Amino acid sequence: MSTNGTPTSNGKYALDLQDVHCYYGSFRAVKGVNLKLQEKKITAFIGPSGCGKSTVLRSLNRMNDLIPGGRVEGRILFRGKNLYDPDVDPVEVRRRIGMVFQKPNPFPKSIYDNIAWGAKINGFKGNMKELVEQSLRSAALWEEVKDKLDQSGLGLSGGQQQRLCIARAIATQPEIILMDEPCSALDPIATLKIEDLMRELVKNYTIVIVTHNMQQAARASDYTAYYLMDKSDRAGELVEYGETDQLFTNPKDKRTEDYITGRFG
Amino acid sequence: MSQETQPSDIGQYPEGDNLKHFIENRKRGGLVWRVSFQIATILAILALIALLYNIINGAFGYVAIQNKVDPNSLVLAMEENQMLSSSGTVSSEDDNELVDGIEGNPNAIGFFGYAYYNDNRDKLKAISVDGQAPSRETAESGDYPLARPLFIYSAADVMRENPAIGAFVDYYLTNVNSVIEEVGYFPISDDLLNEATTAWSAAAGEQADALQAYTANPAEVSDHDISISGSSTVYPLTRQLAIQFRRAGFQGGLDLQQTGTTAGFRAFCEDMTTGISNASRPINRAEIEACESNKRTPVEFRVGTDALAVVVSSENTFLENVTKDELRQIFTSAETWSEVNPDWPNEPIERFIPGADSGTLDFFAETVFDRQLEALTEPELIEILKANLSTGLLRRFDAEAPLVERSQPELVDLVLERVVEQQVVQSWELTESIFDRAEIEETVAAIPQGELQWRSWLTPAFLVTPQSSTPELAGIRTALFGTLWVIAITILVALPVGVGAAIYLEEYAIMVANPTLRRINAIIQTNINNLAGVPSIIYGILGLAIFVRAIEPITSGMLFGVSDPTTANGRTIISASLTLALLILPLIIINAQEAIRAVPNSLRQAGMGLGATRWQTIWSHVLPSAIPGILTGNILAMSRAIGETAPLVVIGASTFITVDPTGPFSKFTVLPIQIYQWTSRPQAEFRNIAAAAIIVLLILLLTLNASAVLLRNRYSRRLS
Ligand SMILES: Nc1ncnc2c1ncn2[C@@H]1O[C@H](COP(=O)(O)OP(=O)(O)OP(=O)(O)O)[C@@H](O)[C@H]1O
Ligand SMILES: [Mg+2]
Repeated sequence: MSTNGTPTSNGKYALDLQDVHCYYGSFRAVKGVNLKLQEKKITAFIGPSGCGKSTVLRSLNRMNDLIPGGRVEGRILFRGKNLYDPDVDPVEVRRRIGMVFQKPNPFPKSIYDNIAWGAKINGFKGNMKELVEQSLRSAALWEEVKDKLDQSGLGLSGGQQQRLCIARAIATQPEIILMDEPCSALDPIATLKIEDLMRELVKNYTIVIVTHNMQQAARASDYTAYYLMDKSDRAGELVEYGETDQLFTNPKDKRTEDYITGRFG
Repeated sequence: MSQETQPSDIGQYPEGDNLKHFIENRKRGGLVWRVSFQIATILAILALIALLYNIINGAFGYVAIQNKVDPNSLVLAMEENQMLSSSGTVSSEDDNELVDGIEGNPNAIGFFGYAYYNDNRDKLKAISVDGQAPSRETAESGDYPLARPLFIYSAADVMRENPAIGAFVDYYLTNVNSVIEEVGYFPISDDLLNEATTAWSAAAGEQADALQAYTANPAEVSDHDISISGSSTVYPLTRQLAIQFRRAGFQGGLDLQQTGTTAGFRAFCEDMTTGISNASRPINRAEIEACESNKRTPVEFRVGTDALAVVVSSENTFLENVTKDELRQIFTSAETWSEVNPDWPNEPIERFIPGADSGTLDFFAETVFDRQLEALTEPELIEILKANLSTGLLRRFDAEAPLVERSQPELVDLVLERVVEQQVVQSWELTESIFDRAEIEETVAAIPQGELQWRSWLTPAFLVTPQSSTPELAGIRTALFGTLWVIAITILVALPVGVGAAIYLEEYAIMVANPTLRRINAIIQTNINNLAGVPSIIYGILGLAIFVRAIEPITSGMLFGVSDPTTANGRTIISASLTLALLILPLIIINAQEAIRAVPNSLRQAGMGLGATRWQTIWSHVLPSAIPGILTGNILAMSRAIGETAPLVVIGASTFITVDPTGPFSKFTVLPIQIYQWTSRPQAEFRNIAAAAIIVLLILLLTLNASAVLLRNRYSRRLS
């Protein structure tokens, strides 16, 4: 399985996964993933439920460390350095590689503080107000909240909360943003807004998004990775990875074709 | 790949009426819980009522106050003294001197026994008092204010056992009217004399005839002795009759004393050293009860009436009638007649009064000066203080606050406290006070100098006075300070340690990969859960061993040089606080753990996903979200600690201490110990102040809880 993550572009790699295996305790949830993520592109992870998309995504910024028993084998190169080397501080990894979660999770604080807190703890020096405004603008939320920055972030609608979380992530100016089903709780309009936002953000950031929405993957992403659980050992594996257009119109693998044409089951 | 499943032959659900019944039945299940809830609520309310009832019942109610010294007698002594020491007053034991002084002097006034006036009618004029002219009728009926009845008392048993006494009383009644005017009193009417004779016959019963035979021939009872004491007013009359009885042939012992009416009743009723008691007032309830408890039912015999005449010279033209108040002024403070009444001449008053040793002066003062202690002026109160307190004590009070600058109520209080020495002799609970009012009043009436008073044992003074061995003077200041110190330090120690431990267990221990460490953490967790159920006395023993004994140099404060090494020991506030901190630590940890566990994981992911360290995430997001829960646990723990008694008794909290604690190394006592100690005292009044102290403890608890709840609500609001 060493050829499943064949690079298909000449762009630079943001992350290079080499034979990555993810474990929860003794259970191997994901096996043998090889994948090179293109810089300043949107990569979508698709696949049936339980195939390990979230697991792989979490391993990219060491959020798996936070799960008791969570463990990753293999190498994930970031700027030529393995994220899992003992001398790498996971705190710094997460500071460079931000994350937006499936369920919006703003802090129970004001909208302003939601964004400022991350900046503060990461030692941001400068005009905090500017940073907050700029981040909210980038997340296409500014117009809606500019008059109630001191109100609780929990008072926003689900879609607004998710954009607030995106604003919060980009305020720390990471290099990569990981999004785990960011639109699963949103209506189609909010979903489109987030997609527009991603297209905007990808000019400056590398984005990885997990989605169950085929149209979304097809519409919004540049590259797509398809995962599937190997029935023999219940471990997820990367089946096919390539440019989105090509993967959707001309999948190389029969299993991919079954999945995207809806014959999967 | 889904297959349509038909609602078919494999089974069916209830429909129609069946469905309705089915749902009804399921709802009924909830009824059980509702009933349980209602029972629990009722029980809780009952418990609360019982608690409040018991406490409030003890903290309020009637008390019987007894005075060591009768305040009226103080007032009287003061007034008499004023009367005697006024300028222009001539006082003499010899009535002739008084008559001589008044005779022919229009500005003179005086008083003495009515009989003596009667002998000098030609020279003197008796004036009316409150519109009543002195006469036998007005005196006997009591209309004339300066009159009083004269009695002798004996008892049926006494008269039967000692025929000499029975015969003497009969002799007395038969002959009194023939000698009484000679002695100087009004004879009583035939009606009253008949009543007395009838009372004698009833008391003598079957022996009446025999006794009457002895009356005719007293020599036959000479093998018995007669002992009499009591009123000095009745004394001369009894003496006269005793002399005649002896002349008639009585040869036995005859002991006649003049001790005053009250002492006379004491000798008759309590000590039973006399068989007859002379009295110038009716016997009171308490004295009757004292008699009856000794199986002596007193029998009263009215023998005459005493009256004083207020006299001026025959030449006096302006005085016909005076009021009692005018009399008071005339004989004490006034210097001229016009001072008392503008219609009277502006001439100096010249007073002629019987000497201090005579019963006449006392009687006059008692009748005319019927003022209450509370009505006296400041100088008069100071006079009382000066007359009754040692100079040393006076100087001390004067140094605290000059007496002349004190207000009248303050002086009254001082007199009551120091001279009258009021004491609570009996107390009643609130319910008794409300429902058994009549009974209580009777009981109090039976207490000599007893007075009924409504009392709240919970007063501002109760809060700020230290402990005392007299319940009325005891307060909870020391215990209150002790409790506040102990609780403050307990929380200061237990809260950070407890929350810290909870954070470790919830946030860090689960991330530990090393299996040995994991097992140790699990054991610690189990241990904490079990410790929460350990009896508090065990913590007391632990505290005694560790804090009081093992690290005594630290807990006594000697290591820091803050305590006197000769008296210091480890039984200090800090030892108590550390012991209580240990006691409530599991409680705080478990509650804090629960609160921390309830914080959603997404919040931690959000924080750490932004590149925050674990601690930053905990501090900024987890803890603030957990604070309401942590505070709840803290309230429970604090309430527990405030109410704890046993461990503090074990580590040796002081039970009697009057010095406020000044810091962590002070000796101390706390409210529950104080309450416990008071409830175990025999005097009922200690239970009253214990109830009051419990109210204080409850209020303290509720205040602390309420402030914690407020704090918690403020936090919760900020979070949402
Ligand atoms: N915290 C965890 N502890 C143990 N096993 C886990 C944990 N999280 C996920 N797994 C297991 O790992 C496997 C992959 O899960 P993962 O959440 O990565 O799937 P997914 O592809 O994201 O599915 P979905 O599309 O439903 O989100 C599953 O078998 C799941 O049961
Ligand atoms: Mg997932």
